[in-house]
Amino acid sequence: MAEVTVDLEANAEAPTEESRLKRLLAHREAQLLLVLVVFTALVRAGGAPGFLGPTHFPIFLSQVAPDMLVVIPMAMLLIGGMFDLSVTGVANLSVVLIGWTFSRQVGQMDDTLLIILVVAIGLTAGLVVGLINGLAVTRMRMNPLMTTLATWWMAQGAATGVAGGESRHNFVGSFRDIARFQPLQDLGDTFPILQEMRISTLPMPVFYAGIVIFLGWLVLNRTRFGWHILATGSDRQGAALNGVNVNRVTLIGFVATGMAAAMCGIVWASRLTSAPPNTLGGLELRVIAAAVIGGAALTGGEGSVLGAVLGLFFMHMIRSATIQLGLPVYWEFFVLGAVLFTAVAFDAWSKRRAAVDR
Amino acid sequence: MDQSQTSIPDVSKTKTGEAPLLVAQQVRKSFGTVQALSDARIDVRKGEIVALVGDNGAGKSTLIKVLSGAHRPDAGEIIVRNRPETIYSPNDAFDLGIATVYQDLALLPTRDVVANLFVGRELTRNGILDRRRMTEEANQVVRQLKTNLPSVRTRVRHLSGGQRQAVAIARVVHFGAEILLLDEPTAALGVKESHEMLSLIEHLKEQGKGIIVVSHNLAHVFRICDRITVLRHGRTVGTLIKNETDSNEVVRMITGADIL
Repeated sequence: MAEVTVDLEANAEAPTEESRLKRLLAHREAQLLLVLVVFTALVRAGGAPGFLGPTHFPIFLSQVAPDMLVVIPMAMLLIGGMFDLSVTGVANLSVVLIGWTFSRQVGQMDDTLLIILVVAIGLTAGLVVGLINGLAVTRMRMNPLMTTLATWWMAQGAATGVAGGESRHNFVGSFRDIARFQPLQDLGDTFPILQEMRISTLPMPVFYAGIVIFLGWLVLNRTRFGWHILATGSDRQGAALNGVNVNRVTLIGFVATGMAAAMCGIVWASRLTSAPPNTLGGLELRVIAAAVIGGAALTGGEGSVLGAVLGLFFMHMIRSATIQLGLPVYWEFFVLGAVLFTAVAFDAWSKRRAAVDR
Repeated sequence: MDQSQTSIPDVSKTKTGEAPLLVAQQVRKSFGTVQALSDARIDVRKGEIVALVGDNGAGKSTLIKVLSGAHRPDAGEIIVRNRPETIYSPNDAFDLGIATVYQDLALLPTRDVVANLFVGRELTRNGILDRRRMTEEANQVVRQLKTNLPSVRTRVRHLSGGQRQAVAIARVVHFGAEILLLDEPTAALGVKESHEMLSLIEHLKEQGKGIIVVSHNLAHVFRICDRITVLRHGRTVGTLIKNETDSNEVVRMITGADIL
């Protein structure tokens, strides 16, 4: 490692503070972090002093958490050169299946067993749609965009169909704990500082998200499979010629994304304890946009887990700021679209510049 | 056709010395009704460069792909180090020490040199990537091949054509390939880079590799190779020793003008 640093610096000019900063800011994650800090400062100055403050931050985290479960595998799928539009349909299907199962079985079997059953059914929906997506794209060479558009509609249609115009809400009470349980509550009693900073009030989904982020980072950067994802997205044929099982990478990517979408649905079902088929809307656009803002290339081979996390934070910060500043929420989508446009334009610009450099 | 076959002595058999690293003979391969190879032969020894030439569609790429395991031949014999072998996949070829550097290089543009060198064969320790060791080994390989890269952490996208080619070759050499199949190694390069590439290939020859080079550029062929195998309509029409021939004769054999 030391050698490499020497090589790098031998070619560059003297390593001044300025050039080090420049190099750091060449990373998308650093740029984005800077944008988030400036954005927060502006919102605080602009009339919402509590924005992302100690009271708001824990709430903000629990709002971001369900999307975070999906954005990580979605970013990894994009990095592997693929694409999945079906996540909203999958999440809603899992919500509806949970409601449907509860409505049939509640009181007829042990509560804990029933909860395990509904979670398993919800996850199975994600597994099945993920498998269909993955097999269609790898075995049948179907186009991922159109395939997942089709399975999105099929999953959403199945959700609406199973619900049959009803929203079930005869849930087992303790099912709420999946989203509402605060695991650090007791710790907060012992360490008042945790309570003061509201860390003890963080609900389960924040921890699920933390685990998913850690696992995503570990897999992508520290395992052979992660490098195979990056290789597959970088040049599918080249990776295959070098012995990377590109179809396996793609299949696992779709299954992971499908199951993550199902997990997102489970969290929402638990949070709402009701099961309307339109529980989630726009999940696919939110997470894809967040991953792209975070540096994932639609052409594959580039992007990072940290970038996706920051990208999703940004999407939710815009939403949250709109509300806190009392701006008309109807304009939220306009702002999100404009941010995405800017991110994509910036990407195109830096790629053009890199091409000129060479 | 058969006459041309017999009229040219198979010089490879007359040369004395150790057994060839690789011999392929009577290789046939068709795709549907198209017969790409009808009777292809080639062989290469340790520390030797054999050029494989022929017109477009003569079957050069198909023969390379057969030897590298990308295509399964319909018939024919492949002998590696005196043992008949079947090569059904790129991994089979790899296990026999045969490695191919394709024309399109099969590199990963968004990944750095380290990741490109180790793709598919990443080093791990306790299941976790050993990035430190991979970086060290990459530096070592790059130094060994005397290639000038800015740093092994550079993304391949930012390298020149010659540097990319060097990375592609470094990759196969590092993993112990002794028989190298190079598909048009200078086709995409400028004059200076072409010469660097030819020097690199000669350097590999000195290290004792057996090298088969597909090339359209006869000047390059004559500069580096020891023998020239000519393929026409899927058939090996002859193998010439460089010092006993000239480009006129090679061109005649490529085009089939010698039959007339």
